[in-house]
Amino acid sequence: MPSILNQIRELRAAHDMTQQALADAIGVTRQTVIAIEQDKYSPSLETAFKIALVFGVALEQVFQYEPKGRR
Amino acid sequence: MSQLSYQEKSLYGSLVAEVLVYGPYFFLHHENSIGKVALMIIGIIILQIVIQLAIVAFTRNRLKDERDKLIELRGYRAGYFTMASLMVLGLAMLWFHATVGELPVNRMGLHFISVFFGILVISDIVKTVTQIVAYRRTL
Repeated sequence: MPSILNQIRELRAAHDMTQQALADAIGVTRQTVIAIEQDKYSPSLETAFKIALVFGVALEQVFQYEPKGRR
Repeated sequence: MSQLSYQEKSLYGSLVAEVLVYGPYFFLHHENSIGKVALMIIGIIILQIVIQLAIVAFTRNRLKDERDKLIELRGYRAGYFTMASLMVLGLAMLWFHATVGELPVNRMGLHFISVFFGILVISDIVKTVTQIVAYRRTL
């Protein structure tokens, strides 16, 4: 189970935004957005802040850290 | 294919070029010669240029992001370890064959060139495959 989780899919749906639109807004490829959404890639701090900025929410509303073994 | 990013298409292109040229060279040649090694290297370069130009022409978004760079580093690490290991093995085999007298000393340079370029190509194939696997597993 990944230790960094995110709500990007839900936030995208709420903002009616495609993966490509989000990728263009934060300067990454659509494949990277897919990898982040599937919790298979943890983005850099800069990209994480950019994502939060695009949705206009705080960073912790997009990403949550759960230390392994606490579930 | 349209689901693949530019970086992935480029990697598949490199792999096809290297395997198409180095595969027949590796399995079909029976005697080392400067001409065959040169033909193999030039063949890979020309095929790479043609394939990469075609990929560039048919791909609009050629963005390279942080994940691409991370995967590239991972590929180079795998390629480096392969090259270092094979270089030690290749030189040891050359030394062994020269010592037991199977290899004429005057042809040592030619065999070294063949082994050297072979290792370079194999290392690059390992690097490319590592990167493709990383993309397929999303990292």
